[in-house]
Amino acid sequence: MIATIGRSFREGVEGVGRAGSFVAESAAASRDLRTWLPLAVAHARTLGVDSLPIALFIALFTGIVLALLASYSITGAVPLYFVGTLVEKTVTMELAPVLTGLALAGRVGANIAAELGTMRVTEQIDALETLAYDPYSYLVVPRVVAGTLMFPIIVGIAMIVGVGAGWISSVVLLDLSSADFVKGMRLFFTDFDVRYGLVKSASFGAAVTLIGCIHGMRASGGAQGVGQAATRAVVYSATMILVLDAFWAVVWLLGKSR
Amino acid sequence: MKRSNDFVVGLTVLVGVVAIVAATLWVKQADLRNRHERATARFRDVGSVRVGASVVLRGVRAGRVERIELGRDGWVELTMALDPSVELPRAPVVLLNESSLFGEWQATVTEVSAVPRDEVVERQLAEARSAGGDAWPGATLPDIAQLTAVAGRIAGDVASVAGRFEVAFDDQAARELRGSIKNFATLSDALSQTVRRQSTNLDALSADLRLGMRRLAQSAETVQRVAERVDSSTATGEVRRIVDDIATAAQQLKETSDEVRAMSRQLTRSQGRLESVLTTTDSVMLKINAGQGSIGLLVNDPTLYRRSDSLVVDLRALVADFKANPKKYVNLRVF
Repeated sequence: MIATIGRSFREGVEGVGRAGSFVAESAAASRDLRTWLPLAVAHARTLGVDSLPIALFIALFTGIVLALLASYSITGAVPLYFVGTLVEKTVTMELAPVLTGLALAGRVGANIAAELGTMRVTEQIDALETLAYDPYSYLVVPRVVAGTLMFPIIVGIAMIVGVGAGWISSVVLLDLSSADFVKGMRLFFTDFDVRYGLVKSASFGAAVTLIGCIHGMRASGGAQGVGQAATRAVVYSATMILVLDAFWAVVWLLGKSR
Repeated sequence: MKRSNDFVVGLTVLVGVVAIVAATLWVKQADLRNRHERATARFRDVGSVRVGASVVLRGVRAGRVERIELGRDGWVELTMALDPSVELPRAPVVLLNESSLFGEWQATVTEVSAVPRDEVVERQLAEARSAGGDAWPGATLPDIAQLTAVAGRIAGDVASVAGRFEVAFDDQAARELRGSIKNFATLSDALSQTVRRQSTNLDALSADLRLGMRRLAQSAETVQRVAERVDSSTATGEVRRIVDDIATAAQQLKETSDEVRAMSRQLTRSQGRLESVLTTTDSVMLKINAGQGSIGLLVNDPTLYRRSDSLVVDLRALVADFKANPKKYVNLRVF
């Protein structure tokens, strides 16, 4: 048992070390702007723009459900215009970044891991290295940059759609006027809400793409290895999103509320 | 394909950024065209007012709190963006207060004469006014939290008292309390009996008192009637007549007194005469006693008495004989 604990600890430290080494290699490769910048746009479309429908779909239904849930929860002594407050705060600061991040963790993380894993098992990455191309500059940095930049854009649009869906459903389905919803929305709104959600989503984008790249680049053993890499990428990405969510809450919200 | 990617990504980024910025500015009610008028108010404490809170004038939203910053000398300066169409009071003051029970605060712009009469608020306003400058004086009304804090302290005290009571109220105390309650019940019975007895006395006393009061009322009525009579007598001139009669009586009394005084003087003279008569009589009596004169002799000499007595005896015999034989002494003839 002691050996098992020791092996687990060693593997954990090795994993952290490899991840750190991977991040360091990627940071070093990011200086090769000419290589990764043209590629980043293509990945921005694949990872970002093409993910927009699923993100907006999630935001749309989240906004509707949240408005109904809020009205159900606060019926009684609390004025109904607090539905606007609740929808704005919750969608902007939490649900849009986290749910979009989780959805994109499945789509983007698996995509990257599978793509890079296939390249790894088919020795395409080895070929790049043989030809003295830096695989980090070609494969990792453009994806990480694209994910980090496009996630906030996707999440920002998802915030607008989510709050808008909550607004419309409140007016249509609930006994709440448009003016009351806006009043509640503006009641405790600060631009910090948006900044918090966007910064958080950028960190999610970086984490999801980095984890996808790490597991893809480390894939081995053929198609099964690629599948395992994709699975691990999704699991680790989703876990990392929740960890980062808690991290930002502790670091930023806790400091701000004191 | 590459150009298409650039376009689509660029368009997405552009739309996303513009949408986020525009939505944020709209919700935040940012004044990009600088259409609002600014006014600054000065406070010692702004409570829980946040940037974006409503500014209310006569109950109507007239702007928003735009900036809150710490000023010099311990002041907090609150800048408000006001609708330019709003007609402000001549002497405006700003009151910060809760607009609901859920933590919403607002800034209420009002006329200084419309400020609620509260010593703390008036002191805050006076202090802010004395600081001078263009800033409007401001005051913060107490919030629910302060009220609930006071209530919380009271509840704490009550809990403390309850705790002490719980400590003091053990089984022994309960038994003693039960005994005390029993004693109290006995005492209560005795007291009720006493009260019942005293109630009877009290009833009698009350009846007497009622009777006395009734008599007093009757007396009062009598007095009232007398007073009315006096009043009516005064009104009809009877008193004047009485006074005149009294004056007449007094005059007559005075005349009588004069007559009595004259009689007294006559009496004095008569007394003198009487004394003279008595002196004379006394000397006469002395002479009589001395056997001087005829009367003296008559009084002092028993011979006369005896002769008179024998004379009376003779007269009685004569009368008896006269009654028995009248013809012997009276011979009446007509012819």
